[in-house]
Amino acid sequence: MNKKKKSLKKKLKAFTPYLWLLPSAILLIVMVFIPIIRTLWLSLNDISRACIAKGWNNFANYITTLKNPTFWRVMLNTVVWTVSCVGISTLLGFILALILNEKFHGRKIARTILIFPWATSLAITAGMWKYIYDANYGGLNALLNALGFQSVNWLNNSHPWQMFALMIVVAIVVTVPFVTFCLLSGMQGISHDYYEAASIDGAGPWKRMIHITIPHLRPALNTSTVLNVIYVFNSFPIVWTISMGAPAHMTDTITTYMYSASFKQFDYGTGTSVSVIGFLVLLAFSLIYMGMTMKREEM
Amino acid sequence: MIDHSMNRKILRVCLYIFITISSVFTLYPYFVMFFSSLKDLDQIFRMPPTIFPTTWKWDNYITVWKAVPLAKFFLNTFIVSIGATALTIVCAVPAAYALTRMEFKGRNLFMRLIVVSQMFTAVVLLIGIQRVLVSLGINDKTLLSLILVDGAFNQAFAVWILRGTFVTISRELEQAAMIDGCGRFEAMRRIVLPLAAPGIVTAIIYTFINAWNEYTVALTITSDVKKKVLTVGIEAFYGYTFVQWWYLFVVALLATIPVIILFMYVEKNLVSGLTAGGVKG
Repeated sequence: MNKKKKSLKKKLKAFTPYLWLLPSAILLIVMVFIPIIRTLWLSLNDISRACIAKGWNNFANYITTLKNPTFWRVMLNTVVWTVSCVGISTLLGFILALILNEKFHGRKIARTILIFPWATSLAITAGMWKYIYDANYGGLNALLNALGFQSVNWLNNSHPWQMFALMIVVAIVVTVPFVTFCLLSGMQGISHDYYEAASIDGAGPWKRMIHITIPHLRPALNTSTVLNVIYVFNSFPIVWTISMGAPAHMTDTITTYMYSASFKQFDYGTGTSVSVIGFLVLLAFSLIYMGMTMKREEM
Repeated sequence: MIDHSMNRKILRVCLYIFITISSVFTLYPYFVMFFSSLKDLDQIFRMPPTIFPTTWKWDNYITVWKAVPLAKFFLNTFIVSIGATALTIVCAVPAAYALTRMEFKGRNLFMRLIVVSQMFTAVVLLIGIQRVLVSLGINDKTLLSLILVDGAFNQAFAVWILRGTFVTISRELEQAAMIDGCGRFEAMRRIVLPLAAPGIVTAIIYTFINAWNEYTVALTITSDVKKKVLTVGIEAFYGYTFVQWWYLFVVALLATIPVIILFMYVEKNLVSGLTAGGVKG
């Protein structure tokens, strides 16, 4: 009897950790993992305009999507968007972090200013820049006129790449703070001993940066790069507010294209297949990310 | 030696130039927003455009409350943010605690689920999320739906930050309390949570801000004007023929300032939480 009780107690004890995880697990399963499965399942079906699955259709949604030249333009846009935004933000963020790591007058103010775009809702930032770029009354042309220059038609429908580049600028402005703070926190974790030792050996600032700062910054750099790739790839409000993909999806990225297909045209076949393709790209990315974090944990 | 200090001076000047340019570039939109919020229709659409208002329309800040149900938008945003934050923390605290204090099968699997969930933002899963909300029968309960979605998509970061904090707290105090007859839960509540307060506050504020600023999900699932949150509510000013920029910016500023202040408060903890959580075991 006693023995049985003990083993029951032991079993209960083995079960407790799962009880602690339960709320979090339920929330994640219901709101994240079931939607993943639902989207995947829907994408393999004929879907009505009311988003009801009407049976397996032999990957027809994917075939239609992949055959559509618009999709490839959107894919190209998304790659350009992600790579240029993350690349330039990382470079600028690195320079800013190097500067903020120095002691100078106004450092605290500079830090505070950098928080602004990070803390502001993307929907608001996007609206603010839509106004700034406006050809007739925008804040940018107001500035140009005040300095004696002519107004420019910034968001010109006949130059989609120009529009797209201007939206990338906005994406960079909102991404830089995160990179900067991430790298700054990494830099502050590097022991001063390394720099002192290097100085004694006669290494100049450039050499110290190459041989000490950058290698030690690798974990912080990995974290910020991977998280940014995910955020920027999935970014929605900037494009949606400023151009809504116009003209004719030429400035759409994966997320805005998916959104207008699903929630404006009610073409859920395109919507779900684009969604799945998008999250496959990110899944591939997240696997690489996990590989990296595990390697780091082994270290 | 002279050469060296000369170099330093040049570097210093470059530093100031770079930091000034980036600060001005960052702040310029906020100045535009502020000054434009004090203009009226005539001044906004005046050609050529001006930066400063000619007459300062401070009453925009009063009339806007009647132009849209702004108080309602604020209340909705507040309910969603508080609800999502409470949900996130209530779920994330025990999970993060179990992950740092207990050995069990599937621990790594759960960590992986957390990381994977972080890889998906709600945008890519919108259609699936909407189907799930329909299945649960809450698709017309906008605020509750938003609380659930925001709560779920902030789990990863909250668990991440909390786990990073919990591992730094020694187990001995807790064990002593447990020997004195405290249950595991009591020990966590009395010993670990007070010591982990900075991490918990960071997670709370970060989740709150994310929920406050969320736009895409809210845009998709809101069907009733009375259920709009601020980020969706400002859409009302984007008219078919012209945009009521002055009101839009009034609301944008009112919605943004408290968040920036909150953000300043946690900025330091937040960044170390984000980067350290991943490295520490």
